[in-house]
Amino acid sequence: MESGRRVPNRVLLALMLAGLLAWLALDAVSLAPNRIVPGNSYRAFEIGGGWPALAMTLPMLVVAGLAWRPSPQTLRLALWSVLALLVLLPWWLVAASASLVEPEMPQARIGIGVSIWLLLFVWLLTLIELRTRLGLPRQLGWLLLLPVLASWWVALVWWLEPLSLYREYQARSDQFLAAVTTHLALVGAAVLASLVLGALLALAMRRHPGVRRAGFGLLNFLQTVPSLALFGLLLAPLAWLGARFDALAAIGVSGIGWAPAFLALLGYSLLPMVRNMYVALEEVDPAVIESAHGMGMNRRQVLLQVRLPLALPIVLEGIRITTVQAIGLTAVAALIGAGGLGTFVFQGLGQAAMDMVLLGALPILGLALVADAAISALSERLRPGGAA
Amino acid sequence: MIELFGVTKRFGGETAVDALSLRVEKGEVCVLVGTSGCGKSTTLRMINRLIEHDGGEIHLEGAPVRSFDEVTLRRRIGYVIQSTGLFPHWTVARNIGLVPRLLKWPRARIQERVEELMQLLGLPVREFAGKYPRQLSGGQAQRVGVARALAADPEILLMDEPFGALDPLTRQSLQKELQELQARLHKTVVFVTHDMDEALALADRLVVMRKGRIVQQGRPIDLLHDPADEFVESLLGGMDRGLKEAALTRVSERMLPLGPRLLASERIPYAAPLSQALSLMLWHRVERLTVVDDEDIPVGELSLRRLLGGKTS
Amino acid sequence: MSRQELTIGAAGLQTQMRSWLAPLAWLFLLVLFASGMPHLEGAFRWIEPDSREVIYRRAGFFVLLGQHVLVVGVASLLAVALGIGSAIAVTRPAGRDFLPLVSQLASIGQTFPPVAVLALAVPALGFGTLPIIVALLLYGLLPIVRNTLTGLDGIDADVREAARGMGMTGGQLLRQVELPLAAPVILAGIRTSVTVNIATAALGATVGASNLGDPIIAGIINGNTAYIVQGALLIGLLALAVDSVFERLLRRG
Repeated sequence: MESGRRVPNRVLLALMLAGLLAWLALDAVSLAPNRIVPGNSYRAFEIGGGWPALAMTLPMLVVAGLAWRPSPQTLRLALWSVLALLVLLPWWLVAASASLVEPEMPQARIGIGVSIWLLLFVWLLTLIELRTRLGLPRQLGWLLLLPVLASWWVALVWWLEPLSLYREYQARSDQFLAAVTTHLALVGAAVLASLVLGALLALAMRRHPGVRRAGFGLLNFLQTVPSLALFGLLLAPLAWLGARFDALAAIGVSGIGWAPAFLALLGYSLLPMVRNMYVALEEVDPAVIESAHGMGMNRRQVLLQVRLPLALPIVLEGIRITTVQAIGLTAVAALIGAGGLGTFVFQGLGQAAMDMVLLGALPILGLALVADAAISALSERLRPGGAA
Repeated sequence: MIELFGVTKRFGGETAVDALSLRVEKGEVCVLVGTSGCGKSTTLRMINRLIEHDGGEIHLEGAPVRSFDEVTLRRRIGYVIQSTGLFPHWTVARNIGLVPRLLKWPRARIQERVEELMQLLGLPVREFAGKYPRQLSGGQAQRVGVARALAADPEILLMDEPFGALDPLTRQSLQKELQELQARLHKTVVFVTHDMDEALALADRLVVMRKGRIVQQGRPIDLLHDPADEFVESLLGGMDRGLKEAALTRVSERMLPLGPRLLASERIPYAAPLSQALSLMLWHRVERLTVVDDEDIPVGELSLRRLLGGKTS
Repeated sequence: MSRQELTIGAAGLQTQMRSWLAPLAWLFLLVLFASGMPHLEGAFRWIEPDSREVIYRRAGFFVLLGQHVLVVGVASLLAVALGIGSAIAVTRPAGRDFLPLVSQLASIGQTFPPVAVLALAVPALGFGTLPIIVALLLYGLLPIVRNTLTGLDGIDADVREAARGMGMTGGQLLRQVELPLAAPVILAGIRTSVTVNIATAALGATVGASNLGDPIIAGIINGNTAYIVQGALLIGLLALAVDSVFERLLRRG
């Protein structure tokens, strides 16, 4: 009775169909003899007689087949198949580069094509769908990606030297590390400063309604002003300050550089931080506070032992929003000379060097996702009374 | 007339309604009672096909409900739920006019019907027509809910614990109003509740359900006299059954014509239930009451012995 | 009676007008600065005394403003249509299979920095206006989808039950009940989407689109603070004007 009603999982079928179409019809890789000359594009089945590409389609067909009659067992098998695909993909690239790159092209670059980007996207969606259907916890989802990362790493280090993104990284690995450090330092400084300032502001707002109205008004206003405009508007007064006061100029305050970037980041970070802190302090169940007072706790004890523990997850949510937002905004700050990963993005765009754009944009995306996942996991663990 | 023939409903592995057969006559108030999870709401919702039945057949005026288009079917059946389900973005008047508008009545006729219903349910048009649901009290909102269900003058009314969320006083007055409405409108009503007093007060036919099956059905008084098993007995109030029965019998059924004796000092309306007469006797420590009519004119008398001895005579 | 209604009507109109005051004021300032910027040469000369040219002249400010509004407008309209459409599709019985995936995607997607999305659009689609519109569209979809889903999800289940029980068809339920009730939340999503898009579009100047971001980028490259201030001022005013329109629309609900 039950099994007779089992209907195909249309989501997985649609995703696999999209993946197969992309794999068949679109360009998978491009080959260029060096960094300057534009390359030729190849579809997956045009490479190595099509056998490696065929090997990649099999797991997708398996997933589609399993999705026809979904049950926990078949879905778990499908999950393993998708992971296998992700683990195999770098090795397909290894095969492709082996068959395409001639020994007389030492500078040859293999570019990743639309087809592969789409496949990666489709497979990640498939993983999300399978994780949801199987009810796996989020942390486990990240754990499952470890073998995938390991496979890519091994392939990159030993066999995928011609991959253009990797070549681009190798050419400027020092710069890359410095950019990541600067990026993280700016984000960290802005988040920490907004945490401290935000706490003070939130406490002041609880005392004085006037501060609350004015504060939220100003921060909302700031949040609405586009980042590029705010960076620009801060440039002029800071340049003036740096020119007027040598002491400020000595610590690096000038129109461009870290100072306007930091100030703007701080301004944007304050709104989510203050809002969450205020809510966290304000919206604790009044009955809980009343009973705490009733038991004879004083104000300090109530704040430290009741309000703060209950507020912690909401504050962490504020930190999460702020951090993710700051990672993106810091990229824009590269335009006013603050450094960071945005430098690669905008330099790359300026030189029409797409690999360089990717070298900046992909880590920014990765940082945002990792920060989001890590802080979410933390707040999940710290939720009072256990996970919901 | 509503007929259920061996109707079954399963949710996953659970059987919510198990081969249930029931016949609700035209103009009858049929009340389904039982503990929560006994399948009474499911049964109700299968009649207007908000839930589709898995087995058996449900007939409306002799035709299976599946033979109707489900939307057309529901527009022919009034439906009232506990939380009212009024649309919060519509005024009272617009909420009441919902089904007539779905049926594309002319605008003037809708307006006329809405005002008529508001009067019928004691909602002054000028005061309430433009109000929004959140501005109403629980009792007022439920009146609007009932008016909305009656708007297109359906033959059948399905009511799913309509008064369950109201305070006892409002609930009683709405029950009374529903009885008065029913006396004028003669709808076929299926009413679900877990409040036994409400069930006894409203039912022409009382249906006691347990685990998806009917344990016993019949006139309330018959169930009180002769419960099928301990479950029905405890549901009906156990030791309190005497008082519940007294609440179902009117003073006029037991009173004697005025005798030669002096009038008793305490008076009771002839339409009042025996339970009220008993309470009055207990309170004033008297054994005799004067029964009066609507104009407070003595029409008979009721003694404690008459009150108690009624069962046999 | 009618006189009383008339005075109420007049008072209502007055509050109506007063509540549109803020958006109108921002719009007025925007138009004023866009048209009068060249007349402010004196002020900009003070900011940037050493440069030969202190007013950005490669394109008129009105042209830049128009292009900015056009790009954001096209992308936002498409995002609204696609976003609300897909959120509705996955909440209907026929599309419900896709609901978990779409709602997870919408929330994960919010993590993507807009500048990264813009940068990734270029390798895929090339330079110019089209990649910007596509990037803005894709990124702008997410808050709209998420808020539409939240709005539809927040509707009291009993209201839906009653609507179906009264014999509303799926379309009637959607148009007359679900969308009106979810409208404020959906509108808030559109507001977020448009605000982010105005900011991200300004970065489009770095990928070859011409809009209000141009003077800023040109100013940064040439070290001309006056250009930067001109661009920043107009973008800021545009963002505030649009935001105050949404503020006004949301407060009516």
